Amino acid sequence: MSDAADLRVSGLTKQFAGAAGTIDVLTGVDLAMRRGDAAVITGPSGSGKSTLLYIIGVLDEPTAGEVNVAGTIPFRLGPIDQAKFRNESVGFVFQDHHLLPQCTVLENVLIPTLAGTKRTSDVESRARKLLERVGLQNRLTHRPAQLSGGERQRVGLCRALINEPLLLLADEPTGNLDQKTAESVGTLLLEIAAEQQAMLICVTHSLDLAARFPRRYELTAGKLILVDS
Amino acid sequence: MNSFRLIIGSLRHYWRTNIAVVLGIVAATAVIGGALVVGDSVRDSLRQMSLDRLGGVDAALSGPRFFRERLAEELADQYSDLEVSAPAIVLPGSMTRSADGVMQRSGHVEVYGIDERFWSLMRAPDLAAPSDDDVILNRKLADALQAAVGDRVSLVLEIPKAIPRDSLLGDRTETVTELTLTVSGIVEDDTTPGRFGLNPAQQLPANAFVSLDSLQEQIGLAHRPASRRNPTEKAARINALFFGRPERSAPLDITDAGHTGFLNRELANHITLEDLALRLVTNEKHGYVSLESEQMILDSETARAAMTAATELRLIQSPVIVYLLNELWNPNDSDKFSMYSVAAGVDFPTSPPFGPFEYVAGGPPDPAAYSLGGPIPAVINEWLAADLGTGVGDVFASRYHQVGDRGELPELERQFIITGIVKLSGSADDRGFTPFVEGITDADSFADWRQPFPMKLDRVTTRDEDYWDEYRTTPKVFLARETAEALWRSRYGSLTSVRIAPTDGTPLSDVAKKYEERLLMLMSGRAVLDSGSRANRSGRASRRIIDGETVQVVTVPGLYDKMSLATTGLVIAPPSGLLFQPVKVQGLSAAQGTTDFTGLFIGFSFFLIAAAMLLIGLLFRLGIERRVSELGLLRAVGLAPRQVRRLFLCEGAILTVVGGVLGGLAAVGYAALMIYGLKTWWYGAIGTKFLFLSVRPASLVMGFLIASAVALLAVWWSVRQTRGVSTRELLAGTSEPRLDAIGKQQRGRRSGVASLIAWGLASALLIGTMSGIVPQTEAFGGFNWRVVTFFVVGVAALVGSLTALAWWLDVDRAAAVRGQGSGAMVRLGLRNAGRNRGRSVLTASLIAAATFVIVAVAAGRRNPAVEQPVKNSGNGGFTLVAETSVPVLYDLNTEEGRAKAGMDLVGIDSGKRDVVEQMRVMPFRVKPGENASCLNIYQTQLPTILGVPPDVLQTMRDDDRFKFADTRVEQPWDLLDSQLPDGRIPVLGDMNTLLYSLHKGIGDLIHVAPSATPGGTLQIEGMLDGSVFQGVLLMSESNFFRLFPDQAGFRYFLIEADPAQADALSSLLETQLADYGFDAERVADRLASFLAVQNTYLSTFQTLGGLGLLLGTLGLSTVMLRNVLERRGEIALLRAVGFRAGHVRWLVLAENALLMLWGLGAGTLAALLAMTPHLSSTGADVPWAGLRVLLAGVFAVGMLAALGAVREAVRTPILSTLRAE
Repeated sequence: MSDAADLRVSGLTKQFAGAAGTIDVLTGVDLAMRRGDAAVITGPSGSGKSTLLYIIGVLDEPTAGEVNVAGTIPFRLGPIDQAKFRNESVGFVFQDHHLLPQCTVLENVLIPTLAGTKRTSDVESRARKLLERVGLQNRLTHRPAQLSGGERQRVGLCRALINEPLLLLADEPTGNLDQKTAESVGTLLLEIAAEQQAMLICVTHSLDLAARFPRRYELTAGKLILVDS
Repeated sequence: MNSFRLIIGSLRHYWRTNIAVVLGIVAATAVIGGALVVGDSVRDSLRQMSLDRLGGVDAALSGPRFFRERLAEELADQYSDLEVSAPAIVLPGSMTRSADGVMQRSGHVEVYGIDERFWSLMRAPDLAAPSDDDVILNRKLADALQAAVGDRVSLVLEIPKAIPRDSLLGDRTETVTELTLTVSGIVEDDTTPGRFGLNPAQQLPANAFVSLDSLQEQIGLAHRPASRRNPTEKAARINALFFGRPERSAPLDITDAGHTGFLNRELANHITLEDLALRLVTNEKHGYVSLESEQMILDSETARAAMTAATELRLIQSPVIVYLLNELWNPNDSDKFSMYSVAAGVDFPTSPPFGPFEYVAGGPPDPAAYSLGGPIPAVINEWLAADLGTGVGDVFASRYHQVGDRGELPELERQFIITGIVKLSGSADDRGFTPFVEGITDADSFADWRQPFPMKLDRVTTRDEDYWDEYRTTPKVFLARETAEALWRSRYGSLTSVRIAPTDGTPLSDVAKKYEERLLMLMSGRAVLDSGSRANRSGRASRRIIDGETVQVVTVPGLYDKMSLATTGLVIAPPSGLLFQPVKVQGLSAAQGTTDFTGLFIGFSFFLIAAAMLLIGLLFRLGIERRVSELGLLRAVGLAPRQVRRLFLCEGAILTVVGGVLGGLAAVGYAALMIYGLKTWWYGAIGTKFLFLSVRPASLVMGFLIASAVALLAVWWSVRQTRGVSTRELLAGTSEPRLDAIGKQQRGRRSGVASLIAWGLASALLIGTMSGIVPQTEAFGGFNWRVVTFFVVGVAALVGSLTALAWWLDVDRAAAVRGQGSGAMVRLGLRNAGRNRGRSVLTASLIAAATFVIVAVAAGRRNPAVEQPVKNSGNGGFTLVAETSVPVLYDLNTEEGRAKAGMDLVGIDSGKRDVVEQMRVMPFRVKPGENASCLNIYQTQLPTILGVPPDVLQTMRDDDRFKFADTRVEQPWDLLDSQLPDGRIPVLGDMNTLLYSLHKGIGDLIHVAPSATPGGTLQIEGMLDGSVFQGVLLMSESNFFRLFPDQAGFRYFLIEADPAQADALSSLLETQLADYGFDAERVADRLASFLAVQNTYLSTFQTLGGLGLLLGTLGLSTVMLRNVLERRGEIALLRAVGFRAGHVRWLVLAENALLMLWGLGAGTLAALLAMTPHLSSTGADVPWAGLRVLLAGVFAVGMLAALGAVREAVRTPILSTLRAE
């Protein structure tokens, strides 16, 4: 599988300098995935789950190791190309949805398209479809403040998918939601990622959510261990 | 969705923050645009003042030379009825009014003898021109005299005399005349006559308008018909001619140079010899024509033109200099003598009609045989030879007066050696050698002479009277002209006549006619005007020589170089000096102003602008911080950092445009406030209430553009701050790059070291200065090393204090914040200041820098009125400075000089007499010019020039008087005697005058336009520092006479006296020398009036700087708000665990107070250290109370503003905040 992988993470390490010395967060992470795969990463707080996610999403840099997404090694790109890579190939779903309060639901979904070159009518049509898919077709002109937590997270999910990314990265997507809403958001996440043929990597503490993923990794002592497959 | 919609959405959503940013931009635009509008307003006001000051007068001809009044009519005939040619006499005078035993006096009165023609140009239709013994006063003069319409006033004027008062035959007795006049009207300040004056200045003059006819009658310039005693008719004379349009509606209100050029051409066509005080005397008996001057002496320009004209017309010429010898005697037989004989210096021509002399014995002298101090080779006539009983080879003695510097006439004794005795016949028997001098050459006997000096009539013998009866002024002694010129040349010239004769038999009347025509052509500049117009067409304006060495074509450099030739043309000064000046054009040019008020107010508002910018930056940054996760999101979804920055910059740009447009409107309000301030609170800075607001759209646009650029810079800076922060950190709400503990330690260490270095430097310099290691010599710009060192100490202390704060905020305080209650909260608050060190240090630095400048400026105020005379200072050790309207010829340091000047100390109490006798007066010659002191805001070209007599110069040198700036020679006064290339004349001037009024520095040149003088170029050789000589230039007396030979006597005096007696002495001198218009004031008061401008500027700066400081405190409260917003979670937690609102208030206020007090304290301490030398001087005049109020006010406002942050902290809902965290 690894030979034909669309995402290949190899020998990834990350160190932080602190007053008491260097802290090794990741000590050699390897991971390989194909389009349509979904994986969840669990682990104790401070184990480096989010760090790994942000490195894969090119929001942080590794100390060593390599990330290869469909033949592209993003850390060899310049800042502008990295941004382009992120815009075209990565979709993020955050625990704090980070919706812009000044924008409507539809506008929030369209935010990533500001950096792209796709036709406005095309991306708007896709946004509407995505929002319809998550059940928010009647809330297009609403502001984030008018939405519930689950609705906001669904908007965040649509925003992550608007550019049809190869990678969908979710950082504690249900962390701020009640159990019922979390369940619904988790379902949507898995379903839509599969529909979009995106590789989904989710970081969570939620065992319920983790249990719904076909593959589960545990990040322990800086290493990624496949727990369940 | 597109970027624009996102931007607009964001602007609307964050409207509160954005309004705050817009307000900051409004403030900045208002201040910058307002400064530009202030500049426009001052310029336009000055321009309007120039127009109001001159009324209908477009061009003026004014000078010391008196010419025919008829010239006015002759010129008027060339123009339409729309234009008026108004004759006038303009003289300085003094005026008094006595009422109820109290005398009110004004020493500097501009007296205008005028008629209705001039009055029509004043455009004051409600008041008739003065007639008979009427006088119209302007409001300033009327107030000074406390005079009302109907009051009687006394006007004292110098009587103009053809023969200079300080020449041998000058009239020294009847110098002034007094007119008793009735005030027939008072013209107010806002009328043209109320402020009329030819020199551009915004200060109001003291004007008195009297009837031209009456004035002419009183001072002997009225028309005098021919009589038996005075066979020559004399025309009425004037010394000023004004040309212009009485009606406002007349086309062309402003005379262009072409107009003035035409006027000058017409003037040149109409000038006669009489206008130049010259006459041609035909001597039919001897067959020649003689050119003579009413001055008795032909000035050098006239003499040169006279000889050139003769050469051009191929006439025989014989220049002559005659002198009066008081007594000639035989040294071997003192009983053989002759009184009051004329000696003539001639070239001993050999061809008729001027020669040859017929010698009884011997022959003409050889000029080369004369050696200085030795006997003078001379030929005497046979009458004198008989009187003295001498022959060829004998020596005879003579006594004659030499004209002294102070009007004294010392009698010199010289010996002559006889080289020949000439027959008293033929060309030697010619009384025409001596020009006609009224009252002398026409006297019937010696007893009838108008005695120019005390004559020894008892020594006059019958032989002398017989000679006078028969030969009159026929010279008894002839000597080589060269020798005579060496002996008797004066600054007025060296020849008394130029005699010309035809080489053929041309009748003398024809010779005289042709000669007059040619001479006038040269003298009037007619020949030159033709060439000048060619130069004008070709657009060249340069010093050129026309007709060989005949006449110089001289443009007026400097005066017009800023204006295009198309509008001004060439102004060519003819040797006659009679020239119309386009005064209105010049006035408008000068209205460009010496001070750039735009720059000045931008400078004054510097801290206001800086604070506004800081505020814009901080507010915008605050907005960004509140949206920092939005920044992170945009980056996370793939927008490049540059795209994200561009979005925020676009938001900033829109805010800037909105703020800029509103700021443009506010700029008008700000400018209106500043103009109001200049007319009221800061009146001393400009000294006129005739300022008005003038708004030019271009200035508002410019202000908008400048402010927008600066505001965008502030926005860019605040957006740029996020550059080093990773997307992940931004998503997590972090807005600034985080430093780890090691980095923080290192940074703190660096700050500590910097602080130690700064304090070490300050301490070392302080010790060096106290121990005298630092020299007291000048460093630069008039500042000595001690002053400079203290300033460096101050700056080092400022840097040391701020770096100490930076260090302290970075210190790793392991010790816990202990205690309870408010004290503990204060300690925690202080600890909080270190959480965002950059922000804290920045705001404290701004406050410290503003405080430093404001305190230093306030501490720099001086009050010279309390300073004692010190030789090496701006007062030069002098107590009084005095000026007169009539020149004083005599030495006021001697009893004899004082008596001659009219002082009578009999009956004065002995104490006062002692003061007078002990005073030391330094007189200066004066060529009046423009006021170039800081009191005049018009652009001046040529200020008043003082000529320093050699003995005064020696005193200045010996006593090291005055303080110099940037003049790096051991004895700066020596520079006045230095020889410069190209005949340039060295001058000294006050630094303020040179730098700020004339915009000149050492080595720069100032051109003196020729006006009845040869003109010349002055080179600035040295600068006096803060001296009483502000507004004038100083040159040596010899150079002064080179340029201004017609300026007789002294009109400026510095007086050394006991300061305790200054008022008594001043009063005594003003009373005793009232006829001269003697006006004395304390040097300290004069300096104080100069400094009033500087002090007013300081006040303006302080006020606007204070406003800036207040705005800076708002910046600080913004920082506090940011801090509170950042720590909402902590504050919520503190409140959750039981802290009351009061505790939280203390927490925020303690941090705010720390930064404010640190800034205020560091700035004040550093400023006081920097200004120590000044503070320890006697003249220091620090407004401590005002300063304390200002700083306390700033602190109070800063604390009040911080309450906004406190409110935010206290109202934060505990639960939701904790949940959000």
